[in-house]
Amino acid sequence: MNSSLQQQSMLDDKPAVEVSDLTVAYHSRPVLWDVDLTVPRGVLMAIVGPNGAGKTTLLKSILGLVPVAAGQVLIFGKPLAQQRHLVSYVPQRGSVDWDFPTTALDVVIMGLYRQLGWIRRPGSRERRKAMEALEQVGMSSFARRQISQLSGGQQQRVFLARALVQNAQLFFMDEPFQGVDATTERAIIEILRQLRSEGKTVVVVHHDLQTVPEYFDWVTLINVRRIACGPVCQVFNEKNLRAAYGGRVAFIVEQQTEGC
Amino acid sequence: MVGAGWDIVLADALSSPTLRVVGTGSAILGAVSGALGCFALLRRQSLVGDAVSHAALPGIALVFLLTGTKTSLGLLTGAALAGWLGMLFVQAIVRTTRLDDDTALGLVLAVFFGFGLMLLTFLQRKPKASQAGLDTYLFGQAATMLREDVVLLSCVGVVLIAIIALFWKEFILITFDREYASTVGYPVHRLEILLTVLLVGAITLGLRTVGVILMSAMIVAPAAAARQWTNRSHRMVGLAALFGAIAGASGAILSSLVPNLPTGPTIVLIATTWALASLLIGGRRGLVWQWLRRRVLQRKLAEEAVLIGLYDLALAHGDERRGHSEGAIRALSPHAVGVRGRLRRLKQEGMVEETSPGSWILSKKGRDEAKHLVEKSRETS
Repeated sequence: MNSSLQQQSMLDDKPAVEVSDLTVAYHSRPVLWDVDLTVPRGVLMAIVGPNGAGKTTLLKSILGLVPVAAGQVLIFGKPLAQQRHLVSYVPQRGSVDWDFPTTALDVVIMGLYRQLGWIRRPGSRERRKAMEALEQVGMSSFARRQISQLSGGQQQRVFLARALVQNAQLFFMDEPFQGVDATTERAIIEILRQLRSEGKTVVVVHHDLQTVPEYFDWVTLINVRRIACGPVCQVFNEKNLRAAYGGRVAFIVEQQTEGC
Repeated sequence: MVGAGWDIVLADALSSPTLRVVGTGSAILGAVSGALGCFALLRRQSLVGDAVSHAALPGIALVFLLTGTKTSLGLLTGAALAGWLGMLFVQAIVRTTRLDDDTALGLVLAVFFGFGLMLLTFLQRKPKASQAGLDTYLFGQAATMLREDVVLLSCVGVVLIAIIALFWKEFILITFDREYASTVGYPVHRLEILLTVLLVGAITLGLRTVGVILMSAMIVAPAAAARQWTNRSHRMVGLAALFGAIAGASGAILSSLVPNLPTGPTIVLIATTWALASLLIGGRRGLVWQWLRRRVLQRKLAEEAVLIGLYDLALAHGDERRGHSEGAIRALSPHAVGVRGRLRRLKQEGMVEETSPGSWILSKKGRDEAKHLVEKSRETS
């Protein structure tokens, strides 16, 4: 805990994420075009935009998972390669094979592999930490379950626990609310708020515009280009939504300029 | 052969040094290919084994053509190099064209194997028939295995297994969630190359005994069988190694005892028969058990529907003692066929009573159960 506080204070002056001039292309078709973005420390930020707007690609290019055509990404002021220990990633649930022969507990322990180093095996200390993380997401009674025997929401919470156990400062989550039950949605939101109260930064690819003002305090709207990025109460308005979604916004943002 | 003392033949076999050599060697190759096959299977790369083993054939022929050697070490080095070259081709094709993995694997398999067969035919036409023995690499031959071969097999096998044990958690992580492994800083690409090298190694070990054509089955079959019996990755790898070893040893010994029985097909037949049996009856995943569980569940749901039907009828008439005919129950049940059988079973369970022939009411127990079911369905909807 102490070292984690120190870690935080050392990073105080730098924004959590700084993206400049980021361009990503698949087969010469631009998916992200010249995106600039700054995520301050300690916010819950949603990335929203229509399907195919490049939300997941933005997340993956920040994490170095897709080749970048141009641009730069800084995590707490330094390139990702030097800051990986501060970063934690919750992939889309559909990105892995849930029939894999492993248990919920073992998946969470995977979050500790890097700290453990090469060759060394996880032991009772790792199991205890992983159980604590499972407890946090309300999944400790499912620790020994094979992962295919969990519901979608439970699988999502296992993924979240794996990220929590890394004890990172910056979290990236790809559609964590996709197809989950109400219990899971509440559990995830609870944890997001707790992370924020601990001064951590969370970036979430989000689909549901309705819940943006309730769940998040910061938002980025993209559609290949960056449309807007800032506090929800300032930039989550009809003008920006129309710019991002075209005429397809089926939903009108209520007045929320107050309290900003 | 049959009848007159199989037991004696078997006893002879077990005490024969040749067969002990053959059995040990084949068990080792089965264990190694079974263990590494698990990773190929879990990474959905079963076809890779097929491509690598077929691609190895021209390597064997070329080494012989260029050096004239017929030692296992020389030929198998050529095989491994050719198999690896085939894998590089596959990756290059996937990277530079729009063809997908399967197409690239199929292409490399066919081209390399075709080239290998051409070289073998060419060698056969040469005088002196010096190629004699090379064609055993097609279907494998265990009987001619020497002590040196087994020593070689064991050494390479131990190295391969040791590397798996050393990088166990890394291999499992990149197999389960490649992107996550990359975000926490693992050199995923290099680990994948290492895993592929190990797979090529395991396949090469088996070429002499099982042959290039069927070796891929030794990668897939023990792993597929093992997956049925456990839900933990380390047990799966252990079981696959065990199944592979048993298939390898028993197949090789059988083919050495029976004249003209080719080794590769015998081993593969044993391994795949066990894989098939495991798919049908193995653990909770077995298809037979799945089918039975579904039947039991269907029957339970149909019986519940009858109870709820009777309950609704009683409510509609406001008279619990009034009996209802099968026809009325059938009209309310989503499973119209078999209502009579269900009523009889429910009667045995004490859920319903037959007031007069063909006229049914709920018992006290049945009414409570039906009420409970109705409330439960209301809660969830």
